Amino acid sequence: MAKIYPIGGGKGGVGKSFITANLGALIAKWGKKVVIIDLDLGASNLHTLLGMQSPSIGLNSFLNKTIHDLESAAVSTSIPNLFLISSFHCYMEIANLFYAHKMKIIEAIKKLSFDYVFLDLGPGTNFNMLDFFLTSKEGILICTPEPTSIENSFRFIKTIYYRKLKHMIKKHIFNSLQKNFYEDAVKPGMKPSDIIEIALKHDPEKEPLLRSQLSKFRFKFIFNQFRNNLDATLGNQFETICNRHFYSIFEFLGYVNFDERIQDAIFSKTLYVHRYPHTQSSADLKNIAAKIT
Amino acid sequence: MKKFDELNYYEILKIPMNSSYFQIKQAYKDALSLYDQDSVLTYSLFTREERDEILKKIKDAHSTLIDENKRAAYDRMLVDSGQVKAPISFSANQYRSSLRSSGRTMADDDRLHSRVKEKISVEGIQNLSKEIFSKELLSGNDLKKFREALGVEIPEIHSITKISISVLNAIEENRFDRLPPNIYLKNFLKSYAKILQLDPQKVVDGYFKTISLSHPADG
Repeated sequence: MAKIYPIGGGKGGVGKSFITANLGALIAKWGKKVVIIDLDLGASNLHTLLGMQSPSIGLNSFLNKTIHDLESAAVSTSIPNLFLISSFHCYMEIANLFYAHKMKIIEAIKKLSFDYVFLDLGPGTNFNMLDFFLTSKEGILICTPEPTSIENSFRFIKTIYYRKLKHMIKKHIFNSLQKNFYEDAVKPGMKPSDIIEIALKHDPEKEPLLRSQLSKFRFKFIFNQFRNNLDATLGNQFETICNRHFYSIFEFLGYVNFDERIQDAIFSKTLYVHRYPHTQSSADLKNIAAKIT
Repeated sequence: MKKFDELNYYEILKIPMNSSYFQIKQAYKDALSLYDQDSVLTYSLFTREERDEILKKIKDAHSTLIDENKRAAYDRMLVDSGQVKAPISFSANQYRSSLRSSGRTMADDDRLHSRVKEKISVEGIQNLSKEIFSKELLSGNDLKKFREALGVEIPEIHSITKISISVLNAIEENRFDRLPPNIYLKNFLKSYAKILQLDPQKVVDGYFKTISLSHPADG
């Protein structure tokens, strides 16, 4: 079965697509069959990062039933073993995906026969994004070492918990004739454990179920755009904080150093790890790729 | 993964149980800055009350662990309540005793060690040791006789092992009703034996046999 890594993070512009493309390329180069699915719906541009024209086959072909399995929507890239499922040609309002379409995509993703499946998700915390992230128990969060980005990461984790809780309420009988209760109870600015604690208070007998479900998540995270003048213990401290104060297991995968040439690579539409294979940032990406394979 | 509320003082500071004074101080500074309200990581994560509560626990951890006596009591509590599996090792106690306010140092312990070693090689002592260990039973009187022959004082054993003087006296006087539960007693006897440079297992076995004979009903 494929290992599925959704790649998310609350904020836009932190480098989710950049990291997805480069990790995918590195792992493909090591002989694994990798597919990247561009799920930044409505703002898809992963093909550009991979130095390709927008492929005519993609998610759209799967949704409009031109092709019948998602596997055939994967097009090869210039890198052997690396495939892309693009959402570029999807209908203009794809960002507001129909529920049935979303479920169809999620079910199909789980059946893909690749070694690794990367889901490049959009920013923010809309339902589609969260549900794609929940496709796997091992999501990767990307953030930058700025307070705003870190704050958004916490909010992202919180929203994931909340979404998971809602899924569970649908599936299991919570003390919830008042399903809306949780919605009303949740205030912005709450930390993830608050939401869980509200649930525990009202459905104490569900505590083991809730804890066991949440503890199955293994969040991984990467600090992108790291600069050498920053506190090098940040990543490990973030890991400590999350493990102590949230309900899942968190693993710090590493920093990706800031490098101006990343911009160059994007402008020239070439893959960074190919163009600059011997920089600090490429070494960082390789270390991270090795950790998740 | 343990949540913050479940962490013991060592885990809060992220240090091993045999950490030195200096390590504790450094870890305390790090923990304070991690939960500071200006910390880039945690500024958005806690309400003021939650943060105050966390900081209070960190301060408690620090004030307990840098105080030799409080730390020993806390360690014992961790062991007794089963939060830490093995009893604190002898060497950790020994190390800690070197930090005591009484001014004892490692050098004192080493001195006692070489003093015992010197005495033990004397012929009379060797005969005494043979006589004691030729029997299957080992009583408190035997231990006392041997200790006195070596010229070691009870307070010296106490200062290294942290076994209370009343317990040490109870061991030597065979006052079994005053002894701690077997699991502790076993370790106390081992520590005691090590100082007198006796075989710890033999001492434990012999002593427990003596105890079992005194209450035949318990088996």
